[in-house]
Amino acid sequence: MRGALALFLTLYLLHALTAEANNALSGAHVWLFAGGLYVAYSALMLPFRQGLAATILGGLLCDSLAPVAFGTHAALFATAHLVVYSVRERLQRDETAVRVAVALLVNLAFYLALSFARLRLVPATATALPRMLSDLAWSQAALALIAPWFFALQVRTLELARAQPARIA
Amino acid sequence: MRIGQSQRFDQARPFVALGVALAVWLVAPVAIKTFARASFFEMTAPVTSVASYVSDLQRFWALRLHSKEALIEAGRDLARLDASYSLSVQQNSELQAEVERLERLLRMPPADHYRFEHARVAQRDFSVWWQRMVIRKGADYGIPKGAPVVYSGGVVGRVAEVHAYTSVVELISDPGLRIAAVVDGDTRPISYQGAENPVFGAARGVVEFVPLDVYASLSEPKRLATSGLGGVYPPGLTIGRITHVEPSADGLFRTGEVTLDIRLAELKEVTVLVPSNPG
Repeated sequence: MRGALALFLTLYLLHALTAEANNALSGAHVWLFAGGLYVAYSALMLPFRQGLAATILGGLLCDSLAPVAFGTHAALFATAHLVVYSVRERLQRDETAVRVAVALLVNLAFYLALSFARLRLVPATATALPRMLSDLAWSQAALALIAPWFFALQVRTLELARAQPARIA
Repeated sequence: MRIGQSQRFDQARPFVALGVALAVWLVAPVAIKTFARASFFEMTAPVTSVASYVSDLQRFWALRLHSKEALIEAGRDLARLDASYSLSVQQNSELQAEVERLERLLRMPPADHYRFEHARVAQRDFSVWWQRMVIRKGADYGIPKGAPVVYSGGVVGRVAEVHAYTSVVELISDPGLRIAAVVDGDTRPISYQGAENPVFGAARGVVEFVPLDVYASLSEPKRLATSGLGGVYPPGLTIGRITHVEPSADGLFRTGEVTLDIRLAELKEVTVLVPSNPG
């Protein structure tokens, strides 16, 4: 479980950085969502249990501040983890570009799922749509930008914790 | 054939396990979920607070770079403000005494009294789905859940969660927040709900059950204030400006759009109104 804890530390850092970025961007009415990064590396590279544990802990971290039923992010992240894990052998998962693509796809899926879950509470749905699309575009752009750095950070953290997963071809 | 079925089951097993885990989580006692949420929140709270303190320090050092002339000018402006506020305080004391005299004379129940707890904003979280902020005071300062939060421009929102050293405030632009309100100069209550935080421009809300004789437009907006009904917000606090009304679907009332203050998105300090006699 050392690997899961090491990976959770990186997710904690990601959570703090995203929160600070959103705090700074609140005046510009921009909100970034980086859910895909909580799942991509652990699902693609880590053994099943270690990866899933880190993903669920990361999801619970997101749940703690969001006004959604506690466990919503964790359930979404865990489901995505299983889906990515089940197809990972068919992917060139050592390639950073592939990892980034997976993170972007998963992020898009999360964003749409959360939108469908929350949109019924918004009284003016039609007028909220431009903001939703704008946030999604900014989130995807930011994620594509920071994902290579974040994956490298996760690799280094696992190395430091001596929990680097053995790659079985 | 049996090998194929076994492989299929092996592939599906993680999904079945997740389904079982989710079912167990759904029926888990609320106390466990509440404790887990609070634990994870408290885990992130130190980082939030430290980042906020660092930001304050950064601002402090930036202010130290101001010239002495600028400081002297600021001091002079503050002295003028102080003089006018001192006069207002005297007038307020007289009015307060008059209110208390009338309450005694008419045997009316005393109006709600609040303790003002000023708090720094540590973090803002304004998505399209929710608009909340974390403030740097919590149970340690006796902040109660549901307390109204205000600033110089009017209502900010209400305290949604209270933690050990921080609290979470739900903003009036949050779609989950509803307030009983009145139009300036009118006593009939209407319903206000937060709506959206658009890309450009100020956050907006909507009003329902607006009487048919109330008109407002962008050129002639109407001030929307708290009604005092419901016992959460004191009456007369500004919520926003009604900039558009139109007949509702049933034709009995009007619905409208409320433009909120642009400063809501950049607040650095707010005041929590803590009831002096809760309950």
